[in-house]
Amino acid sequence: MRVLVVEDERDLADAIARGLRQEGNAVDVAYDGQEALDKVYVNSYDLVCLDVNLPGMDGRSIARRLRTGNGLPGDGRPPRVLMLTALGDLEDRVAGLDDGADDYMVKPFDWPELAARTRALMRRDAGTSGAVLRVGGLELDTARHEAHRDGVELRLSPKEFALLAYFMSHPGEVLSQEDLLEHVWDENADPFTKTVRVTIMTLRRKLGEGEPPIETVTGSGYRLREDA
Amino acid sequence: MKPTTKIEPFVNMLPEWMRSVRFRITVLYSTFTFLIAAALLAALYMALFASLHDTGNLSDLQGPFRFFNTDQAGNVTNVSPPFVQDARAFQRSINAEALRNLKEFSFSALGVLFLVSLGVGWIISGRVLSPIGRIREVADHIQATDLSRRIALQGPEDELKNLADTFDRMLERLDDAFDAQRQFIADASHELRNPLAVMRTNVDVVLRDPAATAADLRSAAVVVQRATQRMGRLVDDLLALARLEAPRALSEPVDVSTLTKEVAADFDAMGRDRSIALDIDVARGLEVTGDRDALKRAVANLVENALVYSPEGSRVTLGAGLAGGWCWVAVEDSRPGIAPEDQSRVFDRFWRADKSRSRSRGGSGLGLAIVRQVVESHAGVVRLFSEPGAGSTFVVWLPAAGWDPEGPLPALPAASPLDRRAAATSA
Repeated sequence: MRVLVVEDERDLADAIARGLRQEGNAVDVAYDGQEALDKVYVNSYDLVCLDVNLPGMDGRSIARRLRTGNGLPGDGRPPRVLMLTALGDLEDRVAGLDDGADDYMVKPFDWPELAARTRALMRRDAGTSGAVLRVGGLELDTARHEAHRDGVELRLSPKEFALLAYFMSHPGEVLSQEDLLEHVWDENADPFTKTVRVTIMTLRRKLGEGEPPIETVTGSGYRLREDA
Repeated sequence: MKPTTKIEPFVNMLPEWMRSVRFRITVLYSTFTFLIAAALLAALYMALFASLHDTGNLSDLQGPFRFFNTDQAGNVTNVSPPFVQDARAFQRSINAEALRNLKEFSFSALGVLFLVSLGVGWIISGRVLSPIGRIREVADHIQATDLSRRIALQGPEDELKNLADTFDRMLERLDDAFDAQRQFIADASHELRNPLAVMRTNVDVVLRDPAATAADLRSAAVVVQRATQRMGRLVDDLLALARLEAPRALSEPVDVSTLTKEVAADFDAMGRDRSIALDIDVARGLEVTGDRDALKRAVANLVENALVYSPEGSRVTLGAGLAGGWCWVAVEDSRPGIAPEDQSRVFDRFWRADKSRSRSRGGSGLGLAIVRQVVESHAGVVRLFSEPGAGSTFVVWLPAAGWDPEGPLPALPAASPLDRRAAATSA
């Protein structure tokens, strides 16, 4: 999943980004409000971790703008917003949620909790409530980072895991190379390399013999068969 | 503590209702009424007694006296036994009778008066003292966490109304002080949470990464080190502020000229680091009375502040001098300047012109608040002169040594002394 971390405290922003990358997400970082706005209108994020006290434009204004969905790239669906703040009062939390935050965390937070909440928020879009995604014989545990096909454990790299998770969140849909680049790779990925194609090839190989569950739709992209 | 009076132990032995002011007023009032009435009646009695004894005009009448009845013919039919031997004795007996009656009536009147005055006194003192009950009720309900209630006593401008108003004003001040304290604690915990979050997240993330290399661990440690340094500075400054709020204990002569030069020497390296020229222009023999360490810290905060916010390659001037009974220390920098609407807020705790920019430069947000606290505890004034685009000058005025702390302060110059001098030399 593609995540934007907006936090003016650089040491904190970088640590969150690093942790979320370990979770298999593609993470971009913005250190102030303006930079955050620039990014959300260019890249389509699944989740934005948003600090409230920001120079430039504060987090609550950004959340309000995101909620409208106006001018957002892709299908225009606003990303999930997880607010991070040092303001822990009840009123602050309520105000943040009212401004369009999907969840709220008070600094200092436990990393496992933040990670679990980001996973829970991203699952909402996949339409499942648990940490485990299932499509056909494929089973993906996003909390434990385990993938199985027909009971056999698959050994996937973080990027392959993230790619498979994205396919499994959109079973049966045709996903273009741009879609995948947008949601599985961060802004540092070079769109002109064959990185998507190469990763899909290795993923297919690891998924085992027989008919590959990820099929190529000529001219449009790739699709995960629902009976995989 | 006031020494207790002799009757206090006895008063305290009385039941509670008898110890009330209402009861005491009633008893006192009634007793005095009773004593005055008794004295009046006694005087009346004595006067009457004396005047009745003086009458002697019946002395030539001789007895014995009898009552007798006569029939129509004038014959005496019935003669009483002689009841008084002479007229004087007769008069005496009548007088005695009158005095006895007067005495009896007086005693019963006094008794009735005492009871009535007890009742009336009880009711009146109750009415007069009822606002005290209201004051006490409000005071009972007020807790440290909620000082919003007021007595707001209605009625004439009397002693009790004045007392209630004084009480209300005290509550107002307490309320403000508690509010400021709450805000300060909220701000301080907010400021402490950020470095805490930095440390915790960095440590958590690197520890959970099974593939973390030595370099990853090292960079996490560096981040934690930075954050602890920042927290350390913040805690130091918080403590300094808390200590400064206590009454100033030290009152020693402080040589401001030397102190200012020491500060300049301390920041020499920092200025060179940022290639900022630190100009010194300090008059000799400046002296004030106060706490040397606190004053040095205040001047150091001003200089550090100027060095941190001035653009590289610019110039900072540290000056000190004497003007009109004030010893002044001024720091002039060439930062972009502070907007007029923010100039009064720069001395507030945790106030920052641009939140993240200043935080990343390592300030605690308390430096100028400490300056103000130090200066004001020395009966001085600190002021900022700034025009956007033209740099800022912070000026501290302290009463020069020899100033009588009880006497009035000299009038404060209206402009920055550095400015005026610049104008004078250029003219």
